[in-house]
Amino acid sequence: MYVVIAGGGAIGFHIASLLVEEGHQVIVIELAETVLATFRRQLDVKAIQGNAATPKILREAEAGQADLVLAVTNSDEVNMVTCFMAKELGARTTAARIRNPDYSGYFVTPTKSAIATRRIVRPKSFGVDVFINPEAEAADEITSILSGVYSTPVENFADGLVQIREFRIEGEALVNKTLGDITFPKPCVVAAIVHEGGIITPESNIVITESDSVYLIASREYMDELGKIFSQPKRPAKKVVVLGGNRIGFLTADGLQRRGVKVKVIENNPHLCQEIAAKLENVDVILGDGTDRSFLIEQGVSSADAFVATTESDELNILCGLLAKNLGVPRSLVVINRPGYIPLAEAIGVDVAALPTILAADKITRFVLHGGAISAALLEGQQLQAIEFVTSPTAGIVNKKISEAGLPGEAIAGAIVRDDSVIIPPHDSIIRAGDHIIIVSPLSIVPTVEKLFK
Amino acid sequence: MRIKIVLHYLGLLIAITGLTMLLPLFWSLFNNGTDTSAFAISTAISLVLGLLLWRVLPVKEKGMNRREAIMLVAASWIAASFFGALPYVLSGAIPSFLDAYFESMSGYTTTGATVFTSIETQAEGILLWRSLTQWLGGMGIIMLFVALFPILGIGTAHLTEAEMPGGQQGERLTARMQDTAKALWFIYFGMTITEFILLRIAGLPIFDALTVTLSTTPTGGFTATNLSIGTYNSLFVETIVIFFMIAAGVNFGLYYFLIFKRQPKRLLNNSEFRLYIALIILVTLILNIDLIINMGLPFGEALRYSSFQTVSIMTTTGFATADFNVWTNFAKSMLLVLMIIGASAGSTGGALKVIRLLVLAKYTYNRILLAFNPRAVIPLKIERGIIPEGVISRIIGLAILYFATLVICFLIMGSLGLDNITALSSVIATLGNIGPGLGMVGPIENYAFIPPLGKGVLTFCMLAGRLELFTLLMLFTPAFWRWR
Repeated sequence: MYVVIAGGGAIGFHIASLLVEEGHQVIVIELAETVLATFRRQLDVKAIQGNAATPKILREAEAGQADLVLAVTNSDEVNMVTCFMAKELGARTTAARIRNPDYSGYFVTPTKSAIATRRIVRPKSFGVDVFINPEAEAADEITSILSGVYSTPVENFADGLVQIREFRIEGEALVNKTLGDITFPKPCVVAAIVHEGGIITPESNIVITESDSVYLIASREYMDELGKIFSQPKRPAKKVVVLGGNRIGFLTADGLQRRGVKVKVIENNPHLCQEIAAKLENVDVILGDGTDRSFLIEQGVSSADAFVATTESDELNILCGLLAKNLGVPRSLVVINRPGYIPLAEAIGVDVAALPTILAADKITRFVLHGGAISAALLEGQQLQAIEFVTSPTAGIVNKKISEAGLPGEAIAGAIVRDDSVIIPPHDSIIRAGDHIIIVSPLSIVPTVEKLFK
Repeated sequence: MRIKIVLHYLGLLIAITGLTMLLPLFWSLFNNGTDTSAFAISTAISLVLGLLLWRVLPVKEKGMNRREAIMLVAASWIAASFFGALPYVLSGAIPSFLDAYFESMSGYTTTGATVFTSIETQAEGILLWRSLTQWLGGMGIIMLFVALFPILGIGTAHLTEAEMPGGQQGERLTARMQDTAKALWFIYFGMTITEFILLRIAGLPIFDALTVTLSTTPTGGFTATNLSIGTYNSLFVETIVIFFMIAAGVNFGLYYFLIFKRQPKRLLNNSEFRLYIALIILVTLILNIDLIINMGLPFGEALRYSSFQTVSIMTTTGFATADFNVWTNFAKSMLLVLMIIGASAGSTGGALKVIRLLVLAKYTYNRILLAFNPRAVIPLKIERGIIPEGVISRIIGLAILYFATLVICFLIMGSLGLDNITALSSVIATLGNIGPGLGMVGPIENYAFIPPLGKGVLTFCMLAGRLELFTLLMLFTPAFWRWR
């Protein structure tokens, strides 16, 4: 695929590196020469200097030939104009990052219903086929994590019949056992083991150590039960402290209070406090410094079910998350922008709830889907991709067993969904045309896997 | 730096070098040449050693960083020349290994300086191999490697940048570096085929047409005859060769836009291309007048010699139809200056490059303007774009380095007892990858008599010139090795 990316910020860079890894042709447009130099040094992409919202630059990037034009500059307006012009020039699809809710309608319709959104603004009329609001996605994810019993995000496949979930090994019971020794109460497939930040392809002789995580594929109804063997379930949060009143913090607080959760927002900017206090009537808004331990105790943070750090500074979020954990908050979630910090945060026991950059990349990957894939998710930062394929009748693997279908060694078949029934583990069943198959594989292998299903 | 990675890919490159020897091997085999066994052994050695290196040091992690890329580029040119020298030694054509290495490096770097005192008496396989090394080196062995193997990830960009003539001027044409490399090789290949067919039409035998073609498109300069192109004494052949020398001295990126994007304006409006053509026409005319007045040649003959020699030197090819060593001092000085200027960036030609001359000239002019009005803001513009300060200082740095290398090597050559003209022109001709110089290394002479130390210095000049100094000289800085 030929992809033009306008804007070389964290999201642009992250998506560019993912696309390059998968072997797509990528052109990056960016104003700042220093940012471009980084691209040239680190990625195999063509970098063009200039304003993406001008026909001249878009023509230079041959946006008319593009399968996807992605506008992720800091400015919503530039993004929309870029998409509009790219569409006029003949690009096949466009996507833009639009954060201002007045454009995307997130405030007015927290249901995120597609029809409702379109009634308020019509991004289509700007030529934007898909718009991404990383902050809103992050807030959504935090809300959904806090209303579940485990602190890790979940990915849904086949209309939610099959789930993929990461579990951290917490109980002593499993440590130093091999994977083959574990008896699972319900059928499931281990898709990957995360050891010291790296991915290990699961085999039965691998020894599990403390602080590892596993990715589990199972039916939705069994997921909570399976989780118990890895870590203690926690009750859904009823009292939550949100640090930071910027967009993510505000949207999280709003989403939580709509679900009937008691929310306290701590923010040290008086103007911002005023603003959100006016908008969120059922939420306590407190003016203060989140790194002040005694202040946190005074505000009763220790008695909260969960603490969410959503400020714009990654360092501050990690630090405050750790502080809250230290004060005895059972669940401590932090928002991080730089993927490089994930191992750091996890090493000190803070759960990383959401990375706006990765969520945006995730949404794009879903959109960039090709071949027989109908749904996809990125796991463990950007190392793995879980994809739901629909087997085409002409595919080479039809009427073969999965174990004999010639999948590359690193790719793991997690489930087959046929007529709303889930087959886990799928290894001995024979693939039929029209089956939905969920595969977990490293990014670089994805093109090879895709070919099998075409 | 992960030496293992460098050696792993170096092994693959050596094996490819071995494979390219199959062409002269088969040629020799079908023509019952005396050098068949030499090529068979050389191929075997390169293949076995290369594949062994490749297999013994497997690489798990993908991609390579900038340092490793630079190291690989420099090492692969040195290694390719080493293995490329084997056929010369094994066949007995060049008994001394240093001489063979000189010849091999002269081939890969498209210089065209030879140690053969008599060329025509050599086996055909050897002569074909000489021209083939030039053809491989013309577009770049790394560029070929990158086009063939998509395994290096971002490494590809570092690799090609370290090898491409014109450095950062060499514009990335497509989103993926591999596609750029493929497109460039496609254009190069097409150009080669066309010239071969035309030379066949002009009546050259297959062998001659092949060797001439393989040495023209990379602006190399090796021929299979003692008197270079002059041997054929055919106006038709000379015209074809002139045309393809000029074509090979143009930035190949412009052909990409012409052929793949149908944008002929990019070629016609390119200021480097315009200056390049203008310089060729201007010097041809001046030489023409000089030849008529001072040598008494008739107009037609003067034009024939002056145009061929101007193009041959300017594009850094080094073919000859006349012994310009006997021309007037003015004509010789003109040619010496052309040797320093060279062809366009992004072409297969060598030396300083026309675009750098243009930038340096504009920069100097701006400096003069700034001298009487220091507050003036005068951006350096080429066509409509402003050249960033970083690029300008890189060019100035390169020019200084170029002349510094020239001066130092000139002094060394002088210390070996060569006369000034020979010492200076031999350094200019090897540093610029031209081949023949003036005096005792003139167009009908050769480099056989140069003492061993001198040959070593000139070999260094050839490689330094081909890799545009920075890539090679970086390896000699302590900082490169300090933080490995």
